[in-house]
Amino acid sequence: MEAVTQYLLTGLSVGSVYAMVGLGFYVMWTAAKAVNFNFGDIFMLGAVLTVVAIDQGIPLLPAAVLAVAAAAIAAAAIERGFVRPFNREANAIGWMLTTIAVGTMIESATTALFGSNPRGLPSPLAETPIRLGGAGIYPQELLLPVALIIVAVGLELFYRRTMLGRAMRAVAWNRTAAGLVGIDADRITLIAFGIAGVLGALAGLLIGPVVQASSTMGAVIGLKGFMVAIIAGIANARGVVIAGVLYGVAEKFIEGYLSTAARDAIGFTLMVLLLLLFPQGLFGRKEIKKV
Amino acid sequence: MNAITGIAAEDLPAPAGAPILSVSGLRVSYGRIEAVRGVDLAVGAGEFVGIIGSNGAGKTSLLRAVTGVLKPAGGSVTFDGADTTGSGSHVMVARGLAMVPEGRMVFADQSVRDNLLLGAFTRIKADPQGVAADIDRMTRMFPRLGERIDQQAGTLSGGEQQMLAIARGLLSRPKLLVIDELSLGLAPKILDMLFPVLTQLNREGLSILLVEQMASYALAVTHRTYVMENGRVLFDGESKALAGDDRVLDAYLGRRGKH
Repeated sequence: MEAVTQYLLTGLSVGSVYAMVGLGFYVMWTAAKAVNFNFGDIFMLGAVLTVVAIDQGIPLLPAAVLAVAAAAIAAAAIERGFVRPFNREANAIGWMLTTIAVGTMIESATTALFGSNPRGLPSPLAETPIRLGGAGIYPQELLLPVALIIVAVGLELFYRRTMLGRAMRAVAWNRTAAGLVGIDADRITLIAFGIAGVLGALAGLLIGPVVQASSTMGAVIGLKGFMVAIIAGIANARGVVIAGVLYGVAEKFIEGYLSTAARDAIGFTLMVLLLLLFPQGLFGRKEIKKV
Repeated sequence: MNAITGIAAEDLPAPAGAPILSVSGLRVSYGRIEAVRGVDLAVGAGEFVGIIGSNGAGKTSLLRAVTGVLKPAGGSVTFDGADTTGSGSHVMVARGLAMVPEGRMVFADQSVRDNLLLGAFTRIKADPQGVAADIDRMTRMFPRLGERIDQQAGTLSGGEQQMLAIARGLLSRPKLLVIDELSLGLAPKILDMLFPVLTQLNREGLSILLVEQMASYALAVTHRTYVMENGRVLFDGESKALAGDDRVLDAYLGRRGKH
């Protein structure tokens, strides 16, 4: 019973990370019909830049804010330099290659500058675990589902209640029509990538104290975030949140009852099977086919 | 003060003044296919101008180049005294040119109200009260939109979507409203209601450029009409005079022989 509680709680925590990264993919995809494939690097920058800022003597909270802002700017710059020029034609796929290329550059540069050893991200919430229903967990880990709820609700309100959010949905629906009401669709897409950057970097710095910050920490998590977004049906934000959390919980149960080694093998197999059964994603709407 | 467009009468240039839009030698091509091959066209301030022609005559491509949806391959566009050749559509809207696109293109996943707010995207920050007042005017002009204000635009009928597309266009307070294929897919009953609205808007001072495949409607409501064929303007003239002109019928039936 205690084991089950433990798996649920840690699963909820890591699942919230997948969900937030998945939401980043959702925001990028809706605006641009393209994504930054190496979005995991933005996640990584959130944690690594916080450590770097703390090294400079900046206290934790301002360091975190600076890191998120810098990562968001990097995410927007990637849109401008590596997505937009390669996403001009309908069905363009150049951005797939270019975002992977720039992501690899960022990862290598970070390894060179930051070092290849993981470093701790000090947080007062990750010093002593608390006991909850027989399970031991760091308060830091409980922060993640809370952050996920705030981010998801905030995103929903942003899309429905603000002019910028409405404009972003308008661009997602029909770029030409958005232009014809005076919306600069390119600018909106740039902002969308920046917002996605905030989500990714926030997830990175929040899980940083638990997993340690390193130049490679984003690679697999970025992939998993992309996977849960696809499995959910990438155009459905609520679906992405649910899929992310469920995948995190499922992972912890596989880890607990089988082994850590089995986790990704079984997890990815499960995802492939789900995609076979639901080609549009679990919560995706059937896309209108053009004949 | 104009009840619908919100333009005060004294703001309006004299109808016989400089054209609000003038297009010269405009060419549009898609790869090697030339859709528009050197078109000259002008819309005077306060004028209601039509462009008619059969399917594939280049009408929509011409409009798309004028409104900045695509870049022309050659020629120039002058709007409201400035050279706007190649300006993006969002720039054109800010300059005072709004377009009701072919197929209406309402934001189907957003409410009628949100569609109208988006129509005012370029001015809502500066003038939120004016926008709210204009939305009220639109719901008086099209009561059906008022009844469905919180409904998703995708659930509206074709006629209601066309009303929404017109109202959305007007919310930017344009100097020139460009309409592409108003009649597309709509029942005659709806058209008999929509065309008088355009006439009314024009009487209140709005310049309108209407592209229309149903020539009879266009000739009945506009002052002047251009007839297009194969990417060129064949001729233009007073709409009243053209209504009885055999050349119009010839253009539609391709009876000029050479093509």
